[in-house]
Amino acid sequence: MSESTGQPAAPPAVAKRRQRIDLLAVAVRFQSLIGLALVSVGGIIFSPVRHGQILFLAPDNIANIIRAISETGIIAVGMTFVIITAGIDLSVGALLSLSSVMTATMMVSVGWGLLPTLLTVMLAGAAFGAAQGLISTRFRLEPFIVTLAGLQVARGLALVVSGNQYINISYGEGLGLAPPIFAVLGERLFDNTVPVATLVFVAFAVVGTIVLNTTRFGRYVFAVGGNERAARLSGVPVSLIKVSVYAITGLASATAGIVHAGQFNFGSANDGTGYELTAIAAVVIGGTSLFGGSGSMIGTVAGAVMLGALANLLQLNNINAALQLLATGAIIVLAAVLQSLVRRHEGGPR
Amino acid sequence: MSTASAGAEGAQPIIEVRRVAKSFGGVKALRGVDFTLYGGEVHALLGENGAGKSTLMNILSGVHAADEGELLIDGTPVRFTDPREAQAAGIATIYQELDLVPSLDVTANLFLGHEITRNGLLDNAAMRAEARRRLAVIDVDIDVDRRVDNLSIGHRQIVAIVKALSFASRVLIMDEPTAALTASEVESLFGIVRSLRAKGVAIIYISHRLEEVPFVADRVTVLRDGLVAGETAPHASQSTLVRLLVGRPLDELYPRRSTGFGRPLLTLRHASFRLERERSGWQTPCDISLTVRAGEIVGLAGIMGSGRTELLMALFGSGLPGRWEGVVEIDGQATKLQSIAVARRSGIAFVTDDRRGNGLMIRMSVGRNLVMSIIRHVTPLFLVSPAREAMAAERAFSQFDIRPHDATIAVGALSGGNQQKVVLAKEVVGEPHLLLLDEPTRGIDVGAKGEIYARLRDLANAGLGVLVASSEMPELIGLCDKIVVLREGRTVAEFPGGIDEHSVLAAITAKEIAHV
Repeated sequence: MSESTGQPAAPPAVAKRRQRIDLLAVAVRFQSLIGLALVSVGGIIFSPVRHGQILFLAPDNIANIIRAISETGIIAVGMTFVIITAGIDLSVGALLSLSSVMTATMMVSVGWGLLPTLLTVMLAGAAFGAAQGLISTRFRLEPFIVTLAGLQVARGLALVVSGNQYINISYGEGLGLAPPIFAVLGERLFDNTVPVATLVFVAFAVVGTIVLNTTRFGRYVFAVGGNERAARLSGVPVSLIKVSVYAITGLASATAGIVHAGQFNFGSANDGTGYELTAIAAVVIGGTSLFGGSGSMIGTVAGAVMLGALANLLQLNNINAALQLLATGAIIVLAAVLQSLVRRHEGGPR
Repeated sequence: MSTASAGAEGAQPIIEVRRVAKSFGGVKALRGVDFTLYGGEVHALLGENGAGKSTLMNILSGVHAADEGELLIDGTPVRFTDPREAQAAGIATIYQELDLVPSLDVTANLFLGHEITRNGLLDNAAMRAEARRRLAVIDVDIDVDRRVDNLSIGHRQIVAIVKALSFASRVLIMDEPTAALTASEVESLFGIVRSLRAKGVAIIYISHRLEEVPFVADRVTVLRDGLVAGETAPHASQSTLVRLLVGRPLDELYPRRSTGFGRPLLTLRHASFRLERERSGWQTPCDISLTVRAGEIVGLAGIMGSGRTELLMALFGSGLPGRWEGVVEIDGQATKLQSIAVARRSGIAFVTDDRRGNGLMIRMSVGRNLVMSIIRHVTPLFLVSPAREAMAAERAFSQFDIRPHDATIAVGALSGGNQQKVVLAKEVVGEPHLLLLDEPTRGIDVGAKGEIYARLRDLANAGLGVLVASSEMPELIGLCDKIVVLREGRTVAEFPGGIDEHSVLAAITAKEIAHV
């Protein structure tokens, strides 16, 4: 209890340096929110104007932005868990496509009801992820390799199941038709403003935030990524946690696949390509370290929205896709450099 | 033993250090140190951890620049701002963590960054021949085509020495070169040191193994708290050296021993640990007999590789898979101790020797680290309870006086001593009955050591049993109620605390001493 009274204050130079670092750390902590704010301001300034209305802020446009990011956003929520444990999951895009194919096939060709289909697809996704986690922990393989293989397997399965055809979903009562309620995933609620797909993303993000920040499981996830050996010595069930986070990305990918099928009314073995990279980008821009041990779910959400808003702004101005990629690349590098600066100072002078 | 030092009157020292001071943040690592080194001498630099040895070495090798004072090479003042400038002046340093690339062969390592090329291509034949010649100069037979990770630690050390000498040959700084070597490897290293000395190379030999000093050194300088505590002949008695090293009567640094002990908490009688699969370099505990009673601090002594760490890990269930045979009792109950979970349930806590590697989540906050091993307690119903978390952290802060008193800063930003307090506190907060400690004061300054000793004694007085492994003899003798000596994985002797260092050293090295 006898604290700080007898302790000499830090010399002014040290204090000043500390303060600067703290500012930098705060900036990094909220880098994706700051980035989102900047992109939004930029969007307002550089948006084309039609009939006196700023197109970027038009309700339809905003609905478009948040709808477009909902699938990668759902995946990014799961990816945040994996990356905090210092892992990576490359299979998510392929698993999304496999899940969309499964959803369409089960309802249209097999004739299952809505609930059994959704539960099966989500469970299968979680099981696929868990299997990757098991292989990675049991045989001590890099998750990069295991999930790279998982990507190929999921994509291959999707091709086999679909016969490389679009599986179109038609709605109605009876065999071979999907329940009409499923089409709600492509619609908007609340006066035609809020896309249902976005609501799924929001639900995922809220649950993800709570799980990550307020549960024992969340603590374990941070601990495993922060120092795996120390976590093991502290009694953390390290392998179980690792398997669980891959099950979470599997579940997220399957959910995104269902949303995908509902939005576009088909399942396709060729969709979702590159989604893993978009999701990882959102997580990293959101301030989560690829080295594990630190990260935030709110950052991930802001990162995903920011990427979507940026893409939208460039599209509105008819800037071609190549420049979009360049801009995204530059933002990722900037986010990573900021983190590295902070890390170097946090590690102390040793 | 020592050939006459070349530091005769009037001779020009190669290195002369005058009143050098250096601070890091608010910590004064060096506070005005004088030091000289002559050609053809081995000058031992001794000091406790945190005494300033590493800082002085880093100034000589250009890693750090001194804040104050002068550095003279051949009588000319210099100021190194880069390790390459020191190398250009002929000063080479061999660090404890050898800077070799394990996946490359010996030749490639020796020429890394200085490759011989012909017409723009690597001339492997020439490099291999030159590598052989350089190794032959110091009479060692190492296959130059072998990958470094296939070499023994001793041979790696020799490769590192040869590499260092190949681009800087006047002064060699060796930092704890024998820390990881076997007795016979130590002997051949000493041979190399002597032959280099005969060739006129000046060597700074940094060590904390007092018993080695007479075998290699011509002169000894002892640093303490950033000052030169004294210079002596290498034959000075161990107690003289210890007094110079510690700088105070031992009873000031170490808390008063208690006298009454309670029931036995840990009892091992002829207990051996059978591994599922043998592994080289792992000294399996064998025929161990020892007792730790409530309120007692028991020390584990032994040379590097005698199986101290392995014994602690086997008790905690965190080492290689295997099972105990013989009598193993916790609190009078026979037990298996097969896993970390079992050990924790039995009330055992383990403080690892590698706090950054195994102990802490270095970038996470102090508070989160403190509750890591009691996470079940702070997450009733699987949800984190901030109130319980804050209470546990607060208790740890006040009990161990961790500074600064702020649970939100990253643990990596604390000083080494405070990090060590966090490692300890994080285990103690779970209220174990038996505390296993591996090198509890490695790399921290004397002040923090004293605090940790005091806390350990407090814990023991409150009924905890403590089993502490250490390579620092004065620490074991000063702190422990009882010292158990390990040799090649076996318990070979037991001494009461406060015994003289010679008796323990004799038991530790009984076999090895014959070699040297």
